[in-house]
Amino acid sequence: MAIAGTTGPRRSRDAATRRSASTWAIVGAPLVWVIVFFVIPVIMIAVYSVGGISGLSPNDIEHWTVTPWKDFITSSTYMGGINPLGSGLFWKSVKMSLTVSVTALILAYPVAYLLAMLAGRRKYVLLLVIIVPFLTSYLLRILAWRVILNPQGVVNTFLQDTLGVTNEPIQGLWNSNFAIYVVLSYVWVPFVALPIFVTLEGIDEHLLEASSDLGASRWRTFWTVTFPLSIPGVIAGFIFVFIPTIGEFVTPQLVGGPSGFMFGSAIQSAFTAGLDWQFGSAMAMFLVFTVAILLAIFGRWLNVRSVAA
Amino acid sequence: MGQFDAVLANPSSRRTFLKSMGIAGGAGILAACRKTTSAGGAATSAVTHPPITEETGELLVHEWAGFEAPWIWRDYADAGYPEPDFSFLTNTEGVIAKTQGGFYWDVTHPETGYVQDYLNMGVLQPWDTSLIPNFAHLSPQLQAYGNVNEQQYEIVTDWGYSGVIIREDLVPDPDLNSYSYLFDDALKGHIGWFDTPWILQQAAMVNGVPAAEGFAMTDEQLTMATEYAISKASNVYTIWVDYTQMWDDVRQGNLWAAYSWPDTYVVLKEEVPVKYVRPQEGVLSWAEGLVLRADTEQYHHAHAFADAWTSLDTAMRLITSWGYGHSNVNVDLDEIDPDVVAVFGLDDPATNLAEPVSYFDRYQPDRDRYNRAWDEVKASIGA
Repeated sequence: MAIAGTTGPRRSRDAATRRSASTWAIVGAPLVWVIVFFVIPVIMIAVYSVGGISGLSPNDIEHWTVTPWKDFITSSTYMGGINPLGSGLFWKSVKMSLTVSVTALILAYPVAYLLAMLAGRRKYVLLLVIIVPFLTSYLLRILAWRVILNPQGVVNTFLQDTLGVTNEPIQGLWNSNFAIYVVLSYVWVPFVALPIFVTLEGIDEHLLEASSDLGASRWRTFWTVTFPLSIPGVIAGFIFVFIPTIGEFVTPQLVGGPSGFMFGSAIQSAFTAGLDWQFGSAMAMFLVFTVAILLAIFGRWLNVRSVAA
Repeated sequence: MGQFDAVLANPSSRRTFLKSMGIAGGAGILAACRKTTSAGGAATSAVTHPPITEETGELLVHEWAGFEAPWIWRDYADAGYPEPDFSFLTNTEGVIAKTQGGFYWDVTHPETGYVQDYLNMGVLQPWDTSLIPNFAHLSPQLQAYGNVNEQQYEIVTDWGYSGVIIREDLVPDPDLNSYSYLFDDALKGHIGWFDTPWILQQAAMVNGVPAAEGFAMTDEQLTMATEYAISKASNVYTIWVDYTQMWDDVRQGNLWAAYSWPDTYVVLKEEVPVKYVRPQEGVLSWAEGLVLRADTEQYHHAHAFADAWTSLDTAMRLITSWGYGHSNVNVDLDEIDPDVVAVFGLDDPATNLAEPVSYFDRYQPDRDRYNRAWDEVKASIGA
């Protein structure tokens, strides 16, 4: 007993030490990776944006300064004040991101519902079908829309030659905000459908049966049981779309024509044609802060475990 | 002295810089930057170079994609030198940034307007034109753009105009001969701009600003040009970045007038009725060529490579196949399509490559000012 009495806590401590060591062994490499290739670069960009680092671009201000931030925040072109209805590029990107995120949610939810609730044993096959387009080149999928939407494309040809409802190609289908919304929504629908599918699939069927037993219609069961329980997936899907699209510049440039200049394009432009790196860094950091704040806000409603499950 | 040199020379800036880099853990970048600085500080004219037989021949050429084609440096290959090691650039600003960060090349290919940026970094040395036999055949007007302080820092190889391609069958008046096509309300929805602040200079020229002043506009002139471009932005169908898409749009009649280079005309003239306009205001033009790294260990190989680039055979093929201008003025005009001769003005290069006909790109220390104004124009569309 004496031996057991003295070795018990030690064993427990040893086990805890081993667990701790193995935990660090598992998370250590990814942690180092994130610190070296994400945290440090972000800090460098932040410091660079206020002149703490300089000399990397010919136009750098070579002392601590808030000028790049001031130029950006006070600019009607890039920021447009704090008015969300303003004309600044930041708000233009926010509007674009919101529109695409909501559109993708509206399109993806029925798909996810169909797969999770109605497709039965075929759901994983159908899920694979949704993912299949991702086996092709991103650029190819984007430019395929040119064949569909441009003035000589499928839609205009159908309206003009087949239906005869118009004599001229409809302007605004291609090289427009409309094209950006359509193409980005198309691209992101599967990314939204997946987390919603996972949460819907994880809903306990007994809850739905109980609702039905208590006399609720299928419609009422959906709105009072299914949908509320799927909200973590909806929020995850929204975040999956909103965060990448708010900094988008490639797709809008390819399909948006003159309308395709976004906040991300301005950052890219500052780092290339403008040789204006500190200004670009200020804009990039502003975007990082925006995304971080959004994550903090949405994180309150996002049950990661239920989505991950 | 480059700005980066200034940082290291100034104790206060240097401390701030090193401290910040230490905080950020950017030792690698610091080392790379220092390498750049030491390169910039290399003495050039007094250095004697070992003979070509003592060079390894590992020539690092940082080129535009496509310019690695063997026919361009055929003479170099035929002389038995090893194939250059090509890496590729997508824009000169990116090369400047990478070079500042320590990226190495022996030879690269910037536009003439950026030579001063490289000189500011201290990474260039002048060419010894006596080692380039073909140099004697190159247009003196064009070579002047690569000459700084009586030193030939760039061998200007290729050039082109930034004029306007129009669909003669679709524009109301095909004889305007002006950049005003790019802003014309009568062409609403069928105008193509290129994604460049030069659109602002063209807007200024249309409004009476002399072409030469366009490279250094006052704030008032730039504001006027920006506001004018914004007022005409709704006429634009596309701001192209991919010239092949622009070609398609001209072919299909989506574009009636577009900012373009002469290669557009060379490609499309057999397919649709197009005309290449070199505007009466003077045509903004670009030229680019080869610059030599200050601390290259392939000095003679680099010169042999530049000589191959400037050969007559390369010139002929560049003009006839690609629709690019070449600085070798000995090209045989009888072997070139007369339309192409006319478009490039090859029958009188002395006149056509000089002001007031052509205004070539030049160093602009305040590119960021132009770029932000150009951003303002683009931001105004579809907001």
